[in-house]
Amino acid sequence: MQSTFAGIELGKRGVLAHQRALQVVGHNLTNASTEGYSRQRIEFETLPPLSRPGLNRAERAGQIGQGVDPARIERVRDELVERRILTATGNESYWSTRDRVILQLEQIYNEPTDSSVRHLMDRFWDGWQELSLYPDQRASREAVLQRGSALVEGIRLRHNSLDSTRRMVEEEIRGGVTQINGLMRDIAQLNREITRVKGAGDSPNDLLDRRDLLIERLSQHLDISVDSRDPDDFSVYSGGFHIVQGDIHRPFEIAPDREQEGFGRVVWQHSGEAVQFRGGSLGALQELRDDDIRSEIQALDTLTVNVADLVNEIHRDGYGLNGRTGQDFFVEYPAILNAQGNIDTNQDGTFDRSLIFRINGTNELNPSAAIGLSGTIRLSADPAIVIGGILEIPYQPVDTVEDVMRRINNSGAEVIARLNRDGQLELKATTAADPDHRDFVIRHVEDSGQFLTGYAGLLAESGEAGAFNWDQSDAIVALRGADAQGRSAEYAVAPLMNPAGWIAVNPDILREPTSIASSFSDTANPGESGDGRAALAIATLRNTTTGIGRTETLDDYFSDSVARIGLKGEQAELALRTSERIRKDLTDLRQSISGVNMDEELAQMIKFQHGYQAAARFITTVDRMLDTIINRLGS
Amino acid sequence: MNRISTNNPNDNMQFHLRERNRSLQHLQNQIATQSRIQNLRDDPMAAAHSTRYQSYTARLQRYGDNIETIMARNQSAEGYLQHGTDMIQRARELAVQGANGIYTREDMQHMAVEIDEIIKEMVEVANARSSDGTAIFAGDRTRSVPFHPLQGSVAAGEDARITEVLYRGTIGQQSGEVGENSFIETNFPGNKVFWAENQQVSSRVDARDYLVEEHGSFSINGVEISLREGDTVHSLINRINDSGAPVRARLDPVFSGLVLETTTPQQLWLQEGPGSPVLQDLGLVSSSDDPPPRNIARDAMVSGGSVFDALIRLRDMLHAGDQDAIGSQGINGMDRALDALTGSLGRIGAVNSRLDGSWMRNENEILNVKNQNSQKTDVDLAEAIMELRKLEATHRAALSVSARIMQPTLLDFIR
Repeated sequence: MQSTFAGIELGKRGVLAHQRALQVVGHNLTNASTEGYSRQRIEFETLPPLSRPGLNRAERAGQIGQGVDPARIERVRDELVERRILTATGNESYWSTRDRVILQLEQIYNEPTDSSVRHLMDRFWDGWQELSLYPDQRASREAVLQRGSALVEGIRLRHNSLDSTRRMVEEEIRGGVTQINGLMRDIAQLNREITRVKGAGDSPNDLLDRRDLLIERLSQHLDISVDSRDPDDFSVYSGGFHIVQGDIHRPFEIAPDREQEGFGRVVWQHSGEAVQFRGGSLGALQELRDDDIRSEIQALDTLTVNVADLVNEIHRDGYGLNGRTGQDFFVEYPAILNAQGNIDTNQDGTFDRSLIFRINGTNELNPSAAIGLSGTIRLSADPAIVIGGILEIPYQPVDTVEDVMRRINNSGAEVIARLNRDGQLELKATTAADPDHRDFVIRHVEDSGQFLTGYAGLLAESGEAGAFNWDQSDAIVALRGADAQGRSAEYAVAPLMNPAGWIAVNPDILREPTSIASSFSDTANPGESGDGRAALAIATLRNTTTGIGRTETLDDYFSDSVARIGLKGEQAELALRTSERIRKDLTDLRQSISGVNMDEELAQMIKFQHGYQAAARFITTVDRMLDTIINRLGS
Repeated sequence: MNRISTNNPNDNMQFHLRERNRSLQHLQNQIATQSRIQNLRDDPMAAAHSTRYQSYTARLQRYGDNIETIMARNQSAEGYLQHGTDMIQRARELAVQGANGIYTREDMQHMAVEIDEIIKEMVEVANARSSDGTAIFAGDRTRSVPFHPLQGSVAAGEDARITEVLYRGTIGQQSGEVGENSFIETNFPGNKVFWAENQQVSSRVDARDYLVEEHGSFSINGVEISLREGDTVHSLINRINDSGAPVRARLDPVFSGLVLETTTPQQLWLQEGPGSPVLQDLGLVSSSDDPPPRNIARDAMVSGGSVFDALIRLRDMLHAGDQDAIGSQGINGMDRALDALTGSLGRIGAVNSRLDGSWMRNENEILNVKNQNSQKTDVDLAEAIMELRKLEATHRAALSVSARIMQPTLLDFIR
């Protein structure tokens, strides 16, 4: 026999369930615009029915329904889409960071306009042309001087802009690391709370939403993947390492790095090991700072150091109107190096390195002459390319001088070869790919045969014993000493600081423009006032093959550098557009799955309202039935 | 079927409006600056080409300037030389008259006086200065007076007259760049322009057993001849003849001394290298430190002189009334002087006509390069404006559609 009051209980459950459902609808409606909110659905279940053992089982229904029960409130979400959004967000933020910074670099170039370094340099060469026509006039000297100063200013300005961009990126890295540490801490905390709520048997939908939002924010900064197979041990990985596991997180920190001009390295706080992010904005920033901007500065340095060296080489040979000779046109600040290029790097009081930028042989070579010698030249190179950082370049008797030089220049060694104005073989250092090595320093030159020694007159001895090595003081003793005609191999020391940041026009020349060399001397006497040969020789550096780093002429250099940064920008912009679209498609998909649709919710609201009314009506009906039984029966 | 959430249309609207705004902005910038390339990324390769074109144009304009300067210099030199030629013509007429035999001694004296004036005028011509104040015929010693007249008395009781004209300039050739690595000489050393004969210097020192003692060098007319220990005079002669200097060397068959002779009318320019005594040992230059050309050894035989030497000789012959000499040497000297000057004039004319051609070609090239640059970087205005109109129309449409995303909702119908 069924209880008389069971109906009221059942009706009450219905009223409460629908009230709960209306609550969910309200939650959905009011959170329609909350970032990261996923709509929630209430799931009704029938309560387990009562099985009542009865006498007349065969004829009557044995189970009595007990009404409705709001079993779960769940988020509507597609985990797969969420995962893909994480990747897409990282990608988009990588490219948008890159796009933004590279745009700044492009704008620093100022190309193709009349205010670029290229234009200033064109004006500079034009000044020398003018001087070659009017070597005896002061006005043309002033032109060279002013345009030289303008060029120096332009180079320094570009260097400063590049450098400050690099510093800005550094700031962003520092900020980014602080941010991700905070995000990771918050995620770990949420994990703890979520576990606790789940332990109590509830579904912490809003906490989960909050965590998903934080994870999406984290994915903007670095490449992450999540693992939620164990709901109590939610993990976030980056590059194969745990960064969050349950309620534990592993923060990063910035360690200052003296070797890298004070730029910080991102390290794990627990181990001190360096971290290289691969995606996200931090990945892009690290790449920009250590690679793109660094190589732009290096390219500018290459231009500066080579142009200064080429101009100085001729300028020192020439004579000014006042008979002065042996002066440099460009100088580098601060010249701390001694004349042999010795430096004390570990500051223990003794010289331990020789920083030499350029070495010249003594002998005049014919570029198309067969050398008739065989052997192997060993030059310093990027250790990432060649093990040990020493590259071997073999040469055969049938090779011409040009062949050997081309082979050196195409080998990837961090040394380039050319014949200078006097036809002597010249080895010049390039920038170093490895950040641990100094730019513009020749680290190793060795020849097993006679090409660099007797033929070009550059090294004193063949083989390992006669090798030029930078990791000692006075390395220049390996160079060829004075021959019968009193000529010995010449060298130039390397710049100690960024050449582009420190270059200046020689102050002696600024004071006395008549010191600008315009003439050559045929005897030991100063050249004549009307002789513009030195000026012409400098002016024609413009369009001769001079070897600016790996590019051959200045034109090549400028168009290469413009194309390089432009192509990077183009790539970044295209990739950004693509990744933006991908992410938009995915978030649209997510919106379509998890987003709130008001009409839908309103329809639900009506539905639950009616359900509530029905349940209430049921209670009233039961109430009337009871009224009938209690009050009217037998009266 | 995709479910549409309430926020979906809004998100889409924002995204597309942003995109369109970006395109509009880009296009408007392009039209405003007339340049297709706002940032290098807009067309990196075109930007790279453009840097080349711009630098090349700057260079070509410099070559054009150089050509104009050199042509102006040449024209002023040409004017002076033309005047000089007229003067020598007059001198030759006088020489022909003087050789005639019908003039009296007094007449010839008068002619000599006129020749003397011609000499003075020629010195003026040779010391001419260009508009920028530099000596035209001084080699690269452009601040100096290249030709120094020495005064002296020819005969007792006469007024002082010019007896010799010394060249104090240099042989330095200036050159200017008139095309990519193409150079042209821009000046006219006076000891070439005003030289009438090949100059010859014969040493009186027997050179047959001479050996060079140590490494060194000397230069002949600006060409350096290197010396090695143990060189004989014959190897020296070979080296001089093969050096490309406009000089022939040989041994005098009588005195066995070294003889140097220029191959074209110009002065011989001998200079010892630093610390090398070879030319001095061979008896060609004197031990004093005089710079060339005043350093020729005193006992060496020198022949072949300048236009001035020929004029001075003619004047002295007229003075002396030596009709035979005037008829032979005098007229001959004038002929050679005329040859030398007209030769120089011809050279200048040829150079100028070459420069004229270079200038035309250069101007054309500038036009072409500018055209190429413009094709690479400039906006096609018609196309850009069409594009802008199109974008504007679609933008308008998109906005009006966006305004309608506030669709009626169920809310409107719930009581």
